[in-house]
Parts: sequence; structure tokens; C-alpha cells
Amino acid sequence: MNVVVCVKQIPDPVAPGALDPGTNTLNRSGKLIMDDSDNYGVEMALQLAGGEGDEVTLVSMAPGGETSGLRTGLAMGAAKAILISDEALAGSDALGTAKVLAAAIARANPDLIVMATESTDGYTGTLPVQVAELMGLPSVTFAKAISIEGSTIKVERQTEAGFDEVVCPMPAVVTVTAGVVEPRYPSFKGIMAAKSKPVENLTVADLGLDASQVGSAGSGQEITDVSESEARGSGEIVVDEGDGAQRVVAFLEQLKVI
Amino acid sequence: MFEWSEEQLAIRDTVRRFVEEEIKPIVDELEHGDTPPYEVIRKLYATFGLDAMARDSFKRQLERKQSGATGSARPEGGGDAALTLIPIIELCHYCPGIVTALGVSTGLAGGTIMKGGTPAQMERWGLDLLTMDKIGAWAITEPDSGSDALGGMKSTAKRDGDEYILNGNKTFITNGPYADTIVFYAKLDDGSETPLRQRQVLTFILDKGMPGLEQSKPFRKMGLHSSPTGELFLTDVRAGRDRLLGESEGTPGGSEGRESAKGNFTTERAGVAAMSLGLIEECLKLSVAYAKDRLLWERPIAEFQLIQLKLARMEVARLNVENLVFRHIEMSSKGKSLTLAEASAMKLYSAQAASDVAMEAVQLFGGNGYMSEFRVEQLARDAKVFQIYAGTDEIQVTHIARDLLGR
Ligand SMILES: Cc1cc2nc3c(=O)[nH]c(=O)nc-3n(C[C@H](O)[C@H](O)[C@H](O)COP(=O)(O)OP(=O)(O)OC[C@H]3O[C@@H](n4cnc5c(N)ncnc54)[C@H](O)[C@@H]3O)c2cc1C
Repeated sequence: MNVVVCVKQIPDPVAPGALDPGTNTLNRSGKLIMDDSDNYGVEMALQLAGGEGDEVTLVSMAPGGETSGLRTGLAMGAAKAILISDEALAGSDALGTAKVLAAAIARANPDLIVMATESTDGYTGTLPVQVAELMGLPSVTFAKAISIEGSTIKVERQTEAGFDEVVCPMPAVVTVTAGVVEPRYPSFKGIMAAKSKPVENLTVADLGLDASQVGSAGSGQEITDVSESEARGSGEIVVDEGDGAQRVVAFLEQLKVI
Repeated sequence: MFEWSEEQLAIRDTVRRFVEEEIKPIVDELEHGDTPPYEVIRKLYATFGLDAMARDSFKRQLERKQSGATGSARPEGGGDAALTLIPIIELCHYCPGIVTALGVSTGLAGGTIMKGGTPAQMERWGLDLLTMDKIGAWAITEPDSGSDALGGMKSTAKRDGDEYILNGNKTFITNGPYADTIVFYAKLDDGSETPLRQRQVLTFILDKGMPGLEQSKPFRKMGLHSSPTGELFLTDVRAGRDRLLGESEGTPGGSEGRESAKGNFTTERAGVAAMSLGLIEECLKLSVAYAKDRLLWERPIAEFQLIQLKLARMEVARLNVENLVFRHIEMSSKGKSLTLAEASAMKLYSAQAASDVAMEAVQLFGGNGYMSEFRVEQLARDAKVFQIYAGTDEIQVTHIARDLLGR
């Protein structure tokens, strides 16, 4: 079985981020790391594709030929990676990115495509379903468990109340939520082996896409302004005068969380 | 080498994550709860595949020994010392005691058996020590001889038919209370008139539970609580020739046993430099954060020049120790080794720097520095031992001088 995991390489969230004043987009120069939320996708894929002849391929679109984040996934055990890096991709919106990823994923001819629910730098959360739509594949979101049964997958799909059981034919796009599996630490051997695992470098032209469809040229969105978010209010302090519990319950009811 | 490579950084990051997630939450338990460090070390080994790597390395060393080759068993180019040193550095951000327990078991006990043992001894004891399946101790120091361990040693090995009868006390023995396998040094008592100081040193491999062998409870110490240290008492312990390292006394009156002990000097001293680096990095990080955070006279103490001087000195120490560690890594990757003077100088400087930096960190933190919660007090207590074990500061000085003056 071939599983593709889409991996986003993002600026290290520990380092203070910066916006490009010209485009109002996140400055992505400098070293990028694998988005933490993709740890779960990679782990899930490795667990599903652990058999003889199974293979996990990573697919990533990133500026500057960046592979640092990919190496993390390769060190965990993925066999190879496809990296799309092209100056024409700067300023891509989610749909533009989805076009690129869909074209790259198709080259790997996977049985299953695993993605994170959303990235931790962009948070649009729209990319996986766009990729599925472009590829004409079914998509199942918020998976907390996945099992393979012949040519179908069975997914436990997280809901507010519990989970739904969804069965769908492969190939399919599945998104996993953070925390559903325990991502493995890459072993020392894995880290050393990652260096020599193949990374295929592709450009927009290699994928047969036109530069006008992607990047800022093809983007349907423009960030016109960025403003600071409102400082958080100080909250309400409840002094317990015997009725503390009721007042907390009343507060939560008012928020409609209980 | 002036910085870590991409691959080394990946190793550092993954070990750092393990230390933050698995060690940090249990430091208190390891330091003050009498929890031995071995389970978490085994977890570290399993997590990063270090046990599998140890088995591979064991196989190579065994094949080399069986083929009769001598010298280093390292693969071409000398291997990557960084693979060993990076975990040491990272662990010392929180817990130098773990490193001591680990290093003595695999490096000193396991290493001695792998170097001097016969293939049968390597298989019987070496493999389990390298993988951390068993815990090893390396016992040379005695109550009446530390710095003068080889000369002043009083433990004896007396021939009795095909066997030896061992007697003596060892003290300050890392892992002593829990060790499954003990590398034990003793003077050969062949009934001759040879004065004790000049007698041949023999090395034996002992198992926990042998009749006449007593392993004490852990000592209470100033620091390094995560590393159990104890005493060994031997009363007429019978050891067959199969327990004599190399299954041979060596050349009559020869110095094999002494060389076996000294053979560990360079690795041990490089290890202490790496430990110092980790400890210094942590003290510096904590100190910079505290200096920016702590307000006095309505401004951060980082603005006071006397505080800045402390931070600057810490940075100088960090840079120097890092350079020494990098140099050692680069040299061993080229298959070159440090001279005795260099290895001793590296250990002397690094150990002193670690102690100084940690004590200054305590000072910078003021009263909080004296409180456990702020962690620098533990690091300061732990750092002190770097100047004592693996050869005291004073002994390093004598080794540097001996090497320089003997040229
Ligand atoms: C936590 C810990 C763990 C240890 N683990 C082990 C272990 O696993 N195995 C083991 O065998 N040993 C171990 N040791 C022992 C350690 O190696 C000795 O403590 C060390 O070698 C010093 O010996 P000593 O304590 O007898 O001090 P001494 O040798 O009695 O030294 C006392 C003082 O005299 C100084 N001195 C000695 N000789 C000279 C000289 N020629 N010129 C000037 N000054 C001199 C010393 O530097 C020191 O300041 C451990 C010690 C500690 C504290």
C-alpha cells in the first residue's frame, strides 16, 4: 500500500514570527520545520503502511528548496519525499496550494492520502477537502482512528458527541486530528538514514501547471490589512458565597457549552 | 567544526524533546525519591534505537576481536563521537546524574570488558552492558586510595588452584548498589616479597550475588543524587579464570591491568567536557531569562553591569567548552586522539568552568538561587563533582605537567 502524507514546513513557532510588510504574509525565509500537526499524520501513515512492500511518501510545497521539515518525516520512517519549490508559488492561497499538491500527489499514485486537519501557521483548514475535490476523491475529515479493510477504509470520525463510523473506498483523502496517535521519536539510525532518502524536486512546470494558476498571480485572495487583535478582557471573578457552583453553571450555560 | 551539522541538530532536537517530555517531569523523583535512573535510561535506549545500535557495534567489535585484530574497533574514520556526546549534553541540562550512571555502566564497565575481554567474556558480560539490559560498575577507588588508586590499592587476588580468592573494599562506586556486573581491580598476591605498590594489577569481572560480595546501599551525597554511589566489600570471593579479564594475567609483572584502567582516561575526560557544556548551557539560559525578568529598582537586573559581567563570563565559558567539545568530535571523526595533556586540560578547564558558571548562576538568582525550585542549586551541587571524579583537578594538572615535561 502506498500512503502519501502532506507535510507543511513552517517557521519554527518558538522563534518570534514576522510578517512581510509588502505582502502581509508570513515571512518564510530561514529554517523551516515540520508542522507539529503533521507529526500525527506521518505517525498514522507509518502505522497503516507498516507491512512488507508498503511505503509512505511525503509531499510538501515550500519555498527555497527547504527540506529540513521533510527530513524529520523521513527520519520517522517515510521512504521518500516530493518537494515542490518554485518562486512562482509565492503568495499562493489555499486553492492554489491545493492544485499544486493534487498534481504532485497524483504522481505518487497513492492508495491513501493523509493530511492534518489544519496547519498551525495558516489555520485555513480548507486544503484537504480542496485537494480531494481536485483529485475527484472522497474525503473523510477529523479521523481519530483509521483501519484498512480490503480496498476500503473504515474511519472513526470525531464529532462533538463521540464519533461516526465512516466507510469509504480507496483512494481517499483522510484528515487526522492532533493527539489521536503518539508520534514516534525518530531514532538515531532513522535520522542518519534520512539524509540519503530520495527527495524529488519539482517546479510548477514539472507538474504541468501554468504559473498563472498558482502563486499570487492565481490567488483569489489578497491580504489588504493586518491589525493587532484586541487585548483579552480581564474575565469575571466569581467569589464563592455558597452559590459558587450554581454561578459557574449559569455562566457555562450562558456560553452554551453545557 | 564550528557548529552542529543538520543531522546532529536533528539528533539534538529529538533528544531534547525526550528530555523535556520524559526526564524533566521525573527529575525530582530521581534526585530525591531514591528512584534509580536505570528504567528511564532503558527507555531512552529503546526510543532512539540505541540498544540496536549497541548490538551492531558489539557484533563489529566481537568479529574484530575474533579475527585477532588489535586497536580501535571503530569503523573507518573513527565514527561520530557526536552521537554519544549530544545525548550527554542534552541530559546534563537537567540531570548529570543519569549521564554518570549511564557512562559508567556502558563506557567504563562495558568498555573495559569489550577492550580487554576474550570473545567469550565479551559475549557473557559485554553485550548486556552495552545495551543497558544489565547495569555495570567499575571499581578501582578504595577508602585509602583515590587519586593514587593503582599504587595504593590494597585489594588482593590470591591464586588458589585454578581460581583466585579476592578480598578488599571499594568505595565511591557508581552503580555499586545496583550493579549486576562489576569490573573489579585488585593487586596480585603471588606470595612473593614484591612491595604492594609495585604488584601487578589484575582485573576481574564479578556478578551480583557471588558469595562473599556485598554491595552497600547508596551513599547520601552533596549532589548527583540521580546516580547511585556505594561501597563494595569482598570477603574471600572465589573467581575462576573465566572471570579474569582476558583470561590471562598478562606478562609476569606486566602492566596490563594498569593500562586497562588508564585506557579510559581520554573517553572519560571528553565525556566530562560534554557534561560541562550541557550544564553551562542550561545555567546560562536560565540566568539570561531570570536577569531579564527580575525587577529591582523598577528595572530588570540585566541592566546592572555586575550582572552583565556574570552573563558575559558564562558566555565565555560556554564558548570555550563548546570549542573543546567540537575539537574532540572533529578529531575523533578523523581517527585522531587527544594527547594526555590535551585530554586532561580539556577536563580541567571544563569542570572548573561548569562549577564557576553554576555557582555564579546561584548568585545571580539571589535567594531564589538557593531554592530547589529554580534548579540552579542542583546544577551547582552536581557540577562540583566534575572537579573530583575522573581524576581531580589537581590530578589533571599533574598529568598535563607530566606530559609537557616528559617531551
Ligand atoms: C560521585 C562519585 C562517583 C564516583 N564513581 C567512581 C566509580 O564509579 N569508580 C571508581 O573507582 N571511583 C569512583 N569515584 C572515585 C573518584 O574517582 C575519586 O573520588 C577521585 O579519584 C579522588 O580520590 P579521593 O576521593 O580518594 O581523593 P584523594 O585522592 O584522597 O584526594 C584528596 C585531595 O588531594 C588532592 N591530591 C591528590 N593527589 C595529589 C597530588 N599528587 N598533588 C596535589 N594534590 C593531590 C586531590 O586532588 C584532592 O583534592 C567516584 C567519586 C565520586 C565523588
